[in-house]
Amino acid sequence: MDKSRNLADVLIIGGGTSGGVAGKHLAEAGFHVVCLEQGTWVNPSDMPGNRPEYELLGAKQWSPNPNVRGSQYDYPINDSDADTQMWMYSAVGGTSLIWAGCWIRALPSDFRVRTLDGVADDWPITYEELSPYYDAVAREIGAAVLPGNTAYPANTSPAPMTAHSINKTGRKVAEGMNRLGWHWWPGCNGIATREYGSLKQCQRLGVCRMGCPENAKGTTDVTHWPIAMKHGAEVITRARVSRITVDEKGRANGAVYIQDGKEHFQPASVVVLAANGVGTPRILLMSQSSRFPEGLANSSGLVGKRLMTHPYGTSVGIYDDPLDDWLGPNGEQIQSMQFYETDTSRGFVRGAKWHTMPMTGPLAMIGRVRGENPLSSDLWGSEFCKKMEDSCNHMVEWVIMPEDLPEETNYVALDPQLKDSDGLPAPKIHYYQSENTRRLVDFNLQRSIECHLAAGATKAWVTNRGNPSGHIIGTTKMGNDPKTSVVDKFGRTHDVPNLYIVDASVFTTATAANITATTLALAKRTATYLVKHARGQEVGA
Amino acid sequence: MTGIVSGGPASEGNEAVPESLLGIAERKRLARLADALIPGGRFLPSASDARVHLRWIDHTLAARPDLYPVVSRVVATPGEASDVLARLVNESPAVFEDFAFAVAGAYFLNPKIRKLLGYPGTKPAKNPAYSDEAEHYLSEDLLAPVLKRGPIYRPTPPET
Repeated sequence: MDKSRNLADVLIIGGGTSGGVAGKHLAEAGFHVVCLEQGTWVNPSDMPGNRPEYELLGAKQWSPNPNVRGSQYDYPINDSDADTQMWMYSAVGGTSLIWAGCWIRALPSDFRVRTLDGVADDWPITYEELSPYYDAVAREIGAAVLPGNTAYPANTSPAPMTAHSINKTGRKVAEGMNRLGWHWWPGCNGIATREYGSLKQCQRLGVCRMGCPENAKGTTDVTHWPIAMKHGAEVITRARVSRITVDEKGRANGAVYIQDGKEHFQPASVVVLAANGVGTPRILLMSQSSRFPEGLANSSGLVGKRLMTHPYGTSVGIYDDPLDDWLGPNGEQIQSMQFYETDTSRGFVRGAKWHTMPMTGPLAMIGRVRGENPLSSDLWGSEFCKKMEDSCNHMVEWVIMPEDLPEETNYVALDPQLKDSDGLPAPKIHYYQSENTRRLVDFNLQRSIECHLAAGATKAWVTNRGNPSGHIIGTTKMGNDPKTSVVDKFGRTHDVPNLYIVDASVFTTATAANITATTLALAKRTATYLVKHARGQEVGA
Repeated sequence: MTGIVSGGPASEGNEAVPESLLGIAERKRLARLADALIPGGRFLPSASDARVHLRWIDHTLAARPDLYPVVSRVVATPGEASDVLARLVNESPAVFEDFAFAVAGAYFLNPKIRKLLGYPGTKPAKNPAYSDEAEHYLSEDLLAPVLKRGPIYRPTPPET
């Protein structure tokens, strides 16, 4: 094993979304930051969004599912015991390369679900505590938000840019929402409406989920890592971590990683895990030792447990007017929090966030015109062209994102057989939607059909349920009690005083909001805590 | 045959038939299979009229070489096109889905099809917003009913 590398003040495992935020903050504060990233840098010109074959590539080489993509930088995921897939991207910038850009704060009630609704757990922090960090990361990522959203407390600081146009599609369904008296608001996106720092103005290609070839979307390879590197941070790519090491007192002191088939050791005083809700528990479980026989930081037994995913549903409406339904960003046009909160008369607890998104292109329309009908005979042949003629450029889609409550029967484990290309155990996912989630989605989908019809749709139908969201949440729970949580309120593991976690695995509950804003706010808060308490921080030997 | 895309049936096309991936007979076979999936509509042409079996399947397979084994397998399956596809649906649905995806992918690569469906250009087009566009789509006080109802968030008790 190569042990020649110099000691890092902070080792960040994962150069993605949350790792970028932590890396920039810590490097700017003067720490020597080293990041180990399993993927590599992606050149925007290699992204498919401005090529004619973009949808073909988006379904394979740029698929959000690593099992479909099969890149040398991905690890395989056994999802045979799950009713969803784990979407992610391995690269500097991580899954932010393929995120839709929806920049949504959680709501105050999300942090208090046990107190308010008697389910799951309260977070050990409040919305008010996290709010300044939402403000800070909105400035860093380049958020575009119309201030004054009535779904949030009034004291939210303005985002650096005002919102994108809601386009014809957003206006059409907003009129329906107004007729029904329901809440809606122009979409909130981490996508630049003008030149902003290293970001260019959005060109509205509508292909955000295949990477932004225009550098207009907030991704940490553009917005964070270049700044961190100017302050001395090192990003080591193609570096797959096999385990975090500990000293004789049980403090983290570095990580072993494999690069091009060769083992290296990166020593560090503090270790920060930012490898997402699958990768982070996988590394902790692989870091088993005689001192930590159940995996690192796992005295609670909760590492990998309580996996949540936002298995969203979709509905569409067909409208007479041409709507330019392909026009970006993609990204949301409008959103609604009308049915976000619990109303027990509906037969479930908690609720959903809604948003409309553009259609990407004609290949993506096929699944929408097919709807929930699996019979190919009803789609192809004489009906195919008719349905495409009726639908393309005339469709609006509602995305119904449900809160997904935590259950210990949904979890990430190490697969006993499946290995990655370096021989490391692949993760195995055990996940099934709960009855509460199903009811919640069903109820909201029916309301979304009512909205389409109120907006003037000539037809409306449910297109899908249980979609993979790429939101991988909850597998290293945050809490005050070491017996019932993995990390404390600042993201520090209860068991290892110099090991922190900054990705969405720390969420106490899933919320029903897209996770990026909350993930980055938490990462910023943890990095701020690390800087502030550096003097008293225990370090590895 | 709706024939809005310029040119006649596949066999009368002006393009040279490339043989790099599929031979002439295979392309003719593909045309029949593709037409069974996409026979044309009110204004959309059939798959063969859109040259799916010529330039566009080559373009598709160049981008997605992983689809070639499925396309060549289905093309080589004997029988009436509609019968072959019906059997695949029942017996090998994953193969059918991949084949239909390749055919549809080739169809939608044709810029004329994209244009007929209302898509601007051969690929996602740059379309930056005008400076007043966001305001325009919120005109006539579109947000007024939302603002009039006031805050809807649920108050939370102090931390316990």
